[in-house]
Amino acid sequence: MNADVLIIGGGIQGCSTAYHLARSGASVIVLEKDYIARHASGVNAGGVRLLGRDLAEMPLSKASMEMWQLLDDILEEDTGFRQKSVINIAVDEVDIATLKARDKKMQALGHSHERMIDQAELREILPHVHASCVGGAVSDMDGYALPYQATNAFRRAARRFGARFIEGQALNHLRQIGPVWIARTQDKTYEASTVVNCAGAWADQVAMQIGDNVPLSHAAPMLMITARLPHFTGPVVGAVSRQLSFKQFENGTVLIGGGAKGFADRANNTTRLDYAKLARAAKTAIEFFPIMRSASINRMWAGLEAYMPDNLPVISPAANADNAFHAFGFSAHGFQMGPIVGKVMADLVLTGKSDFDLSAFRIDRYDRKTL
Amino acid sequence: MTYDCVIVGAGPAGMSAAIELANAGARVLVLDRAPRAGGQIFRSAANSPLSDSGALGTDYTAGSKLIERFEASNAEHLSEADVWHVGEDGTVLYTQDGIPRTVQTREILLCPGAMERPMPIPGWTLPGVMTAGAAQVMLKSDAMVAERAIFAGSGPLLYLIVAQYLRLGVKVAALVDTTPRRNYLTSLPKVPGALRSWPMMFKGLGMMREIASSGIPVFKGASNLRVLGQDMATGLEFGCREQQRVMSNHVFLHHGVIPHSNISRSLGLSHIWNAAQHCWQVQTDAWGQSSVPHVSVAGDGAGIIGADAAQSAGRLTALNILKRLGRLTPAERDRKASEDHAVLAKMAPFRAFIDQLYGPSKCLCLPQQADTIVCRCEERRLQDLKEGFEQGARDPNALKSLTRCGMGPCQGRQCGPIVSSLLADWRQEPEAQVGYYRLRSPQRLLSLEELSRFQSRPRGGAE
Repeated sequence: MNADVLIIGGGIQGCSTAYHLARSGASVIVLEKDYIARHASGVNAGGVRLLGRDLAEMPLSKASMEMWQLLDDILEEDTGFRQKSVINIAVDEVDIATLKARDKKMQALGHSHERMIDQAELREILPHVHASCVGGAVSDMDGYALPYQATNAFRRAARRFGARFIEGQALNHLRQIGPVWIARTQDKTYEASTVVNCAGAWADQVAMQIGDNVPLSHAAPMLMITARLPHFTGPVVGAVSRQLSFKQFENGTVLIGGGAKGFADRANNTTRLDYAKLARAAKTAIEFFPIMRSASINRMWAGLEAYMPDNLPVISPAANADNAFHAFGFSAHGFQMGPIVGKVMADLVLTGKSDFDLSAFRIDRYDRKTL
Repeated sequence: MTYDCVIVGAGPAGMSAAIELANAGARVLVLDRAPRAGGQIFRSAANSPLSDSGALGTDYTAGSKLIERFEASNAEHLSEADVWHVGEDGTVLYTQDGIPRTVQTREILLCPGAMERPMPIPGWTLPGVMTAGAAQVMLKSDAMVAERAIFAGSGPLLYLIVAQYLRLGVKVAALVDTTPRRNYLTSLPKVPGALRSWPMMFKGLGMMREIASSGIPVFKGASNLRVLGQDMATGLEFGCREQQRVMSNHVFLHHGVIPHSNISRSLGLSHIWNAAQHCWQVQTDAWGQSSVPHVSVAGDGAGIIGADAAQSAGRLTALNILKRLGRLTPAERDRKASEDHAVLAKMAPFRAFIDQLYGPSKCLCLPQQADTIVCRCEERRLQDLKEGFEQGARDPNALKSLTRCGMGPCQGRQCGPIVSSLLADWRQEPEAQVGYYRLRSPQRLLSLEELSRFQSRPRGGAE
């Protein structure tokens, strides 16, 4: 099977890239070893936030946020996106100082979407938050979406423009012969002039076959969700110095995360949970929201996610091959960037350049001379 | 201190295994949710609230002997211990008296037993509709019965509860038997083999005669079942030569049992599709050993075999665990095992006959109408799933992610088997290819506070 572009990995980056390429008239094949959104893209917390972003990501993240606001209309699909305030809670003066320092930097760069709130406003927005919390930062244009549904929305839209999605076939071997990339799975061969590596937690293995070494690691952030509760909180909540992330969906279930990590078993395509850490996350959730004490946990899970040492993604042409590109290593905050990253990758593939400064995301940023 | 073996479930398999292990000197802990050992089949057999539990049959009363032997053994037994996580690292988490606890064990033996096969006919989720097994639980543990109830479906357990009701003098509105008529023919070749277990054959036939001679309306070969009623069940409509209606506020459904596999699934053990029994079951060898060597599964939870065979299977699994613990040589294990292996071999043809005779009809396993609920927790209907499938979710987990089917508190216990078979039907592929939900702990709803009190330091055996 042949195409102009072969995308390895059917997560949100792969599906979004497929959509933007196919819409521009390129023929696209997406090769996915499981089914689309099987790992990080399908089981993440669905956070769509600008709040607290690394400054290097800010231009991309802002552009992505603008796309999210219109995404359902653009894709003619339901991504489950809901605009909600996102709040970062400060528990003490040290947290306040951290927020103030960031606020100063943001203002200097001309970013105005985050604003600091005092204790009174915090109580007003979050009536059930523990009385000891002293303030926080809030971003009002943020929100959340439904991860699998949003990724599938890109897939469906891409398919309408002719993109082909091959699920359940793992890449066994990838090589470039002259102008052609040849990808082999267990029983099929695919050929394309360009390859895009969106393989998430497996992207270092794909990068190696392209010719690029990259210090990627993987981990298994854990989440838990409660049975339905009466509605008690609107905004999405995090904490400056504590492992807490918290949101109540429209159906009343409350998702509790915070970055506690389980065990990533990449070789077996699975994860295991660390119950002691989940217990601590439960404790933290109760400390911030005592009303949650008697809430029932319905499910707990973890997803396999890829991390770069600096927690910034790789969005980059290959360093050691032509007509190959990378988009991976989003380090547990890539879901929000999916819409814009697909656009950037399509631009890179089709024109060789992007409107954004991608220098912080080069794949070879860890290559350096040793003495 | 840790345990040699933790057994989850104190039914016939778990109790038999515990006795065998404890007698050989192994440190055994049995965790069970019920106040008293016995499992579903021998629930309250040792402390029946009924003035004459003889009406429940001699098989049931015989259960109290096993319970007594188990309770007299050196196996440690924690009742009302609700297991919510079993880890392949040998960690078992459970809650007792609201406090989460941990134990560690070299060997894990799961004896989760069976659950009733879901029967998604129109109206199956209406108040007043229960499973026949639930009717039996009420009878065994609380001596409660429902007057003038309809029993619908097929299989030994359905007839047993009807016979028990009749013996207790409870009025039964009707037995609506869905056993396809052709099954009587297709199961004939298996009769000679089944006759090797002739006492069981006779017991079954006796039960059928008891029902036939009681005079209650019996409708054979019934199909197209629909529970009547808007807000609660008012009766059952079905085809049996012509359209029939029986009115009642109690409808008990049953068409066979399937292994309870939520724990073995959460553990990530390999499962296989058993075409003869039309259900998923955990993959085990002849000794009950799963794809994870230190995890074994015995009894109906490893494939439906019935309470008698479960006792043999429990003992065999225990012997193998003793071998793994170094307490028996392979030769000793094999010698001690020969009798139970023979018992199982003798019973197998009878089970094959029952499986053939009462094999569930496809139209009762799969919802037939677009608005029939598949996922009770999230109220997802056949049409919702079909739509999700057409949107590209071809895998049970993708379908779950997209439609929320299976995300509720029952952890997909009810809709899981239905979704596997629906996708198999739509994809025109066998269930084995389609797969099943990826399940995770907790096995039951767990309060945030309960979890927050969990500490990883294991509970010592000597406490």
